[in-house]
Order: sequence, then C-alpha cells, then structure tokens
Amino acid sequence: MHDMSAPAAHHGAPTSFIRKHVFSLDHKVIGKQYYALALLAALIGMALSWIMRIHLGWGNFAIPGLHLLSSTGAPGNVLTPEYYLQLMTMHGTIMVFFVLTTAPFAAFGNFFLPIQTGAEDMPFPHFNMMSFWVTFVGFWVLIASFFVGDGPTLGGWTQYAPLSAIGSVGGPGQGLGVVLWATSIAIFCIGQLLGSLNFITTTLDMRCKGMSLMRLPLTAWAWFITSVMGLTAFAVLMPACILLILDHVAGTSFFVASNLVINDQVLPHSGGSTLLWQHLFWFFGHPEVYIAIVPGMGIVSHVLITNMRKPMLSHRVLIYSMAALAVLSYMVYGHHMFVSGMNPVSSLAFSFPTLVITIPSTIVVLMWLGSLYGSKLQINSASLFSLGFISMFISGGVSGFFLAQPSIDIMLHATYFVVGHFHLVMGVAAMFGIFAGTYFWFPKMTGRMMSEPLGKAHFWLSFVGAYCIFMPFHYLGIAGNVRRYQAFTDDYLIPLIPVHKFITIAALITGFAQLIFVYNLIYSRFKGPVETDNPWQGTSLEWSTATPPPHNNFGATMPVVYHDPYQYSVEGASSDFVMQTSPEKINNPNEEK
Amino acid sequence: MTTAETHKSSGMGKDLAIYLCMLVLAGIQFVIAFQNISAQQMLERMLIVAILEAGLALLFFMHLADNRGLRWFVIIFTVAVILGMQYGWTDSFRIANGVTWAK
Amino acid sequence: MSQADLTLHGHSTAGAMAEPTFSVPAKKMAMWLFIIADTATFAGCLFAYGFIRNASQNWPRPFHSITNVAVMTLILLTSSLTMLVGVKAAQAGDKPKAFRWIMITAVAGVLFAALHLREWMGMIAEGATLFHNPWGTPLFSSLFFSITGLHLLHVTGGVVALIVVGVRYQGGRYKADDIEITGLYWHFVDLVWMFVVPLVYLLNLSH
Repeated sequence: MHDMSAPAAHHGAPTSFIRKHVFSLDHKVIGKQYYALALLAALIGMALSWIMRIHLGWGNFAIPGLHLLSSTGAPGNVLTPEYYLQLMTMHGTIMVFFVLTTAPFAAFGNFFLPIQTGAEDMPFPHFNMMSFWVTFVGFWVLIASFFVGDGPTLGGWTQYAPLSAIGSVGGPGQGLGVVLWATSIAIFCIGQLLGSLNFITTTLDMRCKGMSLMRLPLTAWAWFITSVMGLTAFAVLMPACILLILDHVAGTSFFVASNLVINDQVLPHSGGSTLLWQHLFWFFGHPEVYIAIVPGMGIVSHVLITNMRKPMLSHRVLIYSMAALAVLSYMVYGHHMFVSGMNPVSSLAFSFPTLVITIPSTIVVLMWLGSLYGSKLQINSASLFSLGFISMFISGGVSGFFLAQPSIDIMLHATYFVVGHFHLVMGVAAMFGIFAGTYFWFPKMTGRMMSEPLGKAHFWLSFVGAYCIFMPFHYLGIAGNVRRYQAFTDDYLIPLIPVHKFITIAALITGFAQLIFVYNLIYSRFKGPVETDNPWQGTSLEWSTATPPPHNNFGATMPVVYHDPYQYSVEGASSDFVMQTSPEKINNPNEEK
Repeated sequence: MTTAETHKSSGMGKDLAIYLCMLVLAGIQFVIAFQNISAQQMLERMLIVAILEAGLALLFFMHLADNRGLRWFVIIFTVAVILGMQYGWTDSFRIANGVTWAK
Repeated sequence: MSQADLTLHGHSTAGAMAEPTFSVPAKKMAMWLFIIADTATFAGCLFAYGFIRNASQNWPRPFHSITNVAVMTLILLTSSLTMLVGVKAAQAGDKPKAFRWIMITAVAGVLFAALHLREWMGMIAEGATLFHNPWGTPLFSSLFFSITGLHLLHVTGGVVALIVVGVRYQGGRYKADDIEITGLYWHFVDLVWMFVVPLVYLLNLSH
C-alpha cells in the first residue's frame, strides 16, 4: 500500500460563500470559472474582430462610440492604422491564450478530468485555485493595456522583435503596452504550468481502482497529452517574456541588433538578435497550436462515440496519434519562420517533420471518418458540432500541406492564406470543439438541458458562416492580399475590396449567431428542462455520478472500474451500453486489460 | 514509509563514491578550460563531462536508477524537449558575418 | 502518512485508488514535473546565451581566476551529499540527525549564495551592469546576470524551502517523503550548476 497514493491535499466541503464560489478549491467550480473567463474573453475578442472587419470593409464607416475606447486611436469613431493593429494584436492574444487555451483545456479539463479518472479532486487543489486566479489576473493585466499610456501593443500576438523590443519609438503601445502584454503572458504561463502539473499528476496518480491508463476515455488522454505539452512550452515562453520585459525596463538588448535606425533615430541598443525571439517564441508557439486543438480532438471523439453508440475503430491508435502530434509539435516550429531570414537549411529541416506531422493528423481524421462510416449517428447539437470540427479541421489542415513547403510558403506567407489556414484549423475547429463539449456536458455541469432547436440553429449559422468568412481568405491570400493591411489602396488590392465586404457581412452574421449560443447558455442554466444523471446514456465515469456531482465527485463510495470507457452495443450485454462501473461480465474480445 | 524506490538503508559508501566521481568530473571541466583548444572543442568536451556528471546526479542522487518507468519518462521527455531547441544554432552563426564561434 | 490522513469525507480512500503510475505518488511526481519544466526554462535561457554568444563579434572573456567558481562548485556538490545524508536519516526515522544535516545543507546554500553575491559585487565594482560592461558586448553581462541570477533565485528558494521543510519536519508536520522531495529539488539546483559553470564561466576564461 502506497501511503501517498491517497490525495495529497484533502479538503472538506466548503461552507463560506468565498470558499464555495470565489477562491474555491473544488476542481468543478474552478472549471466553471475558467469557462466563464473564456466566455468573457471570447466575447471581447469577437467584438474586436467586428470592429476590424467593419474597418476593412468600409474604411470610413464611423462606429458610434468607438472613440470612448480610445480618443486617439479612433478619432471621429474611425480607426487609425495603428489602432487597427493594436486591436488585431489584442484579438489574437485574447483568443489564443484566454479562449483557445483556457476553454477546451483548462475549463473542461478541470471539470471532467478528475471525474473521468475517478478521483475526488486534483492532488493539489491550492495550486489549482492559484492557476485560475493567476490566469484571471493575467487577463486583466492584458485588458488594462487598453486604458493606460497610448493603448495596447500593435506587434501582433507573436510580438516579433525588434518591433516589440525597441520601446515607444516603435509606435503607440510599443512602450508600456508591450510590457503589460509580456507581463500578462508571463503570468498566464505560471497559471498554465500549475494547471499542467495538476492535470498530469491527476492522470498518473489519481485513478480509481480498476482504471488503467488505457481505460481512460479519449478526453482524459487528450487533456493529459495537452498538459504534457503545456508543461514545457509555457516554461520556455515565460523566460522569453521576461527577457522581453528586461529589454524594456532594464536597458538590455537581447532582441535588438546594433545600429538599428527607426524613424531616423539610431537606437542605443547593441548586440542582440531578432531571430532569437522568434526561435524562443515559436518553440512555445507551435506546441501551443496543438494545446488548442488536441483537447478538441478528445472531446469530439468522446461525443461522437456516445452518439454513434460504438467505439472508435481503435482506441489505442487515436491515443498514439495524439501523442505523436505532441512529440512532433516540438520539432516543426520553424515552419513559422521560413521567410524570417532563417537559414534555408533549417527550412528544409523543419519542412520534413512538418509534412510528417500531417500523418498522425490524417490518421486521427481517418479514424473519425472510418468510425462514422455506416454508423447510425444520433444528430444533436453536440454531434453536429463534432462533425463541424472534423470538417473545419480537414479544410484548414489541407492548406497546411501547402504552407509546409518553403518554396510555396514564400509566396503565401504573411498573406490572408495563412490567416485563413490557422483560423479554420486552430480557431474555428477548436471553437467547435468547445461548443460540442458545452452542448454535451451542460446537463452534467448544471443539471439542465440546453435548447436543441437553438443549438442546431447556432450550428448551421456558425458552420456556414465560418466557411463564408475563412474560405475567401485563402483566395485573398493567393491573390496577394498581405495580412495586417488596414486599407486596400494598391491597384491589385482594389478589386478585392468586394470580397472583404462579403467577409465582413458574413462575420457580423456569424458573430450574432454566437449570441444565440450565449442566450441559450444563460437561459438553459436557469430555465432549461431538468435532466437525469445520464441523459446521453454514456458509459464513462462522469455519467455514473450524480448531477451535479457532489463535492467529492462520487459521494459515499469511490467508483471501481471494470470496463473500457466505450462499451456500446456489446453483443450479449443486458443493455445497449455498459457503464465503466458496471460489474456485469461481458464478452468483448477487444477489451483492454 | 515505503515507496517503490525505498532505499536500502545501507551506509553512505556508494553515495560517497558517486560524490567523488562527480567531484573528479567537475575538476575535469576546469582542466579542460585550460587546454589549448578552440572554443568549440572546449564546449564539446565540457558538455560531455557535464552530461556524465548530471547523469550520475540523476541516477544515484535523485534515484532514477531505481525506477525504470520514471527514468524513461523523465529522460525521454526532457531530452526530446531539449533536442527540439537545437534547430536555431545555424542562424546564430550566420548573423555575425559567418563567424562560427566567438573567439 | 497516518491512517487518519487517508480518511476523507467519512470514508477511507485506502485501497480505493489504482496503483500510481511508475509507483511515484502525486507529490513526488509533481516535483519531477516541476524539474522537467524548469529544465526547459534553463535550457531556453542557455540556448539564448549560446545563440547571442555565437552572434557577437566582441564577446568578452573577463574571468581571470577560477578559484571562486571552483569553491562554489565544491560547496554545491558537497551540499548535495549532505542533503542525501539528511534524506537517508529521515527515511530511517532519525529525526535529529535528519534535521541537523538539512540545516547543514541550508548553510551550504547560504555560503554559496554569499560567494556568488561577492563575485557579483566584484564585477559590479569593475563597472558591469545589466546593460553595460567594460570588457565587450553589453550582452555578456545581461546574460551573465540573468542566468546566474535565475540560478541564484533557485538557490535562495531552495534554502528557504530547506529551512521551512526542515523545521516543520522537526515539528512533525512534514514527513520523510517531504524531505526527499525537497532533496530532489536541491539536487536539481546542483545539476543546473553543472551546466552553468562550463557554459557561462569556463568558456569565458581569459588565457
């Protein structure tokens, strides 16, 4: 008997309001807090994209009240070129860090990982609480940059040096704005490191009796693999951000080369290297892409299996493919730097693993499609969004084949083609994963059902809308439309303006469709029909506990697991599904030991 | 108190031997520093010695030698991440007008 | 951990959980994961150091003497050994001995930090700051102070951890396993130093 295999930190059910809802140690409450933060961040990020899209479609259109956000950035309610870039930077940063990382990974992972492994809580509840509150502070530090100095930074979410490191001579927001940005991200890193630590130890050490690693549901595996990536990726981004801060506040010059002339001024910096920032940043940045998408893969598999009433073709191959994605994600980061002045030999070295990484991605997709083939999929909002995820992942992934090759990337890099690629494959796909998870798990998280008609309307508007927005991006990119332009005045760009107007209209409609979701979420939380403990007739552990789960997840007795996570339609079994906790003997030759 | 890597409550003999080995290896690093070789050769030799030294610390002071599963988990994880970082070097050489290593 | 610790919400968790992976319990696993993450952090910093060193044309080699760094290395390596003695004593249940050796380790850490600070002071007196130094490219001192500062931060944190854990172990709040976990951290600080010394000091020795 291993003494320390018991939870390292025990806590009884909280009694005070603050412990219950604010500084809660309960992973379920922390998961919901993360979800709320992600929702708020997503709405802000979406509003920013609206402002940008309107500006791109109709450059002189005055958006009422915009000057309240920044009187210098939007005089007469029309964006200045700099302020357009500042909003774009914030859109990217908020979406990548505070939505795509927090919602599918931190929010759902916190709520469901300990339940799915059969634990009472994560092993370090205090770390878990700190993880959320640290992230929360990081978010507001970032938002604060709207309101201090000359606004947020304009360098893009990648903060390429030297622009990010030279200070306010670089433009509005490049002084204090960058410092706040880097501080916010460094804080965020700490939060995610604490989270990853908890996720990994929960998976490895907090499984209930009978729950072998291979008996974990695909979602648990996805969160585990994601946290393994997060552990080292965020650990590298943090010192990079600190070096960037030092360049601003301590007079160092890590990322600025000697004798750089900006605005007719020779900068006092000397000796640094601009490429160094890109190496450090993308060493984090590429795993980050998979941190955003792998939890979605897990959620989609989980949702589809439940709605197909049969397991995936191979549980193990899916897990191995996700793990392969994680390993390879550390070896491909340079494909973001093909045109950065990187050594061409490195480009070749990066191009090869980039093409290799399409193999596990393709295997995952083929697993989904092969399992879906001939199955009687139940159509509901969750399964629709899962199908949407697969569709977006394929459409966005295919353009990756083009971008992976340096010779083609030279033409397409820094155009809307790249923007379309990552918005589909990482942005929209991951968002669809979040939506699938929300519709699927909402009854377990709140005890109530979300409205199906509204959910389906939300799906179709989002699905068609997302394609209307991001497919034309590819066309724009091939036509040579460089990204980050705030107006289109060159000869070859003027014919493209109608496309931009079309995209803007599509973006506004799709954005409003998201408000249906928000309405559905809030309305159903209080007025939705009350559901049973297992509305989808699922088999994994979250469906065997009460709704909402008690403070220690399973009440008086800890669960004991007898089966694989996905025993659906097993021949000879007493019902269509066999719960993991059911002691019933079944004759399934494929079952994991 | 039992964990899988319960340490034989034998004396400190083995640990002392490992400690002395590490001292010698650390000493070798200092000797290499005074060899009349190029910075690149110096770096290579020192890194090899440092990796040996770190390996001793990991295996015996941190007891990875006693736990096969954890050993491979830690080593594969860490080495993969560190190897992933090694792509950038060629860029650093080129920037300084083709100077491969600082003199 | 006593049986009382294992009772939670009125029922015992003993035997309710599967065997931990690698037979490593959660706390110790967390320390290993922290070590892996911290390795990535240090590797990132040392990568930045090497990158800039390669890319600099007037990289200085300001160190004339190895005495100080050799003594520091000796102290840190030895403190790993004393830590080990403390951990073994704790595992054997010999509280006073364990406490004594943990405190000796902490003192070694303080000594290391003092020597390190003295060296810093010497360099600062010669005119080195985070953004300037009299020997060559200013990035030498930026990187030197950043990397050794990060390591010094780890040593300081380690000393505080040793004292806190040691005292609480003495008071009965912490167990031998907690000592062992703190020991892991301390060995890791030593391990990092094995790479900092050749890269940051010995390669910059003037001949």
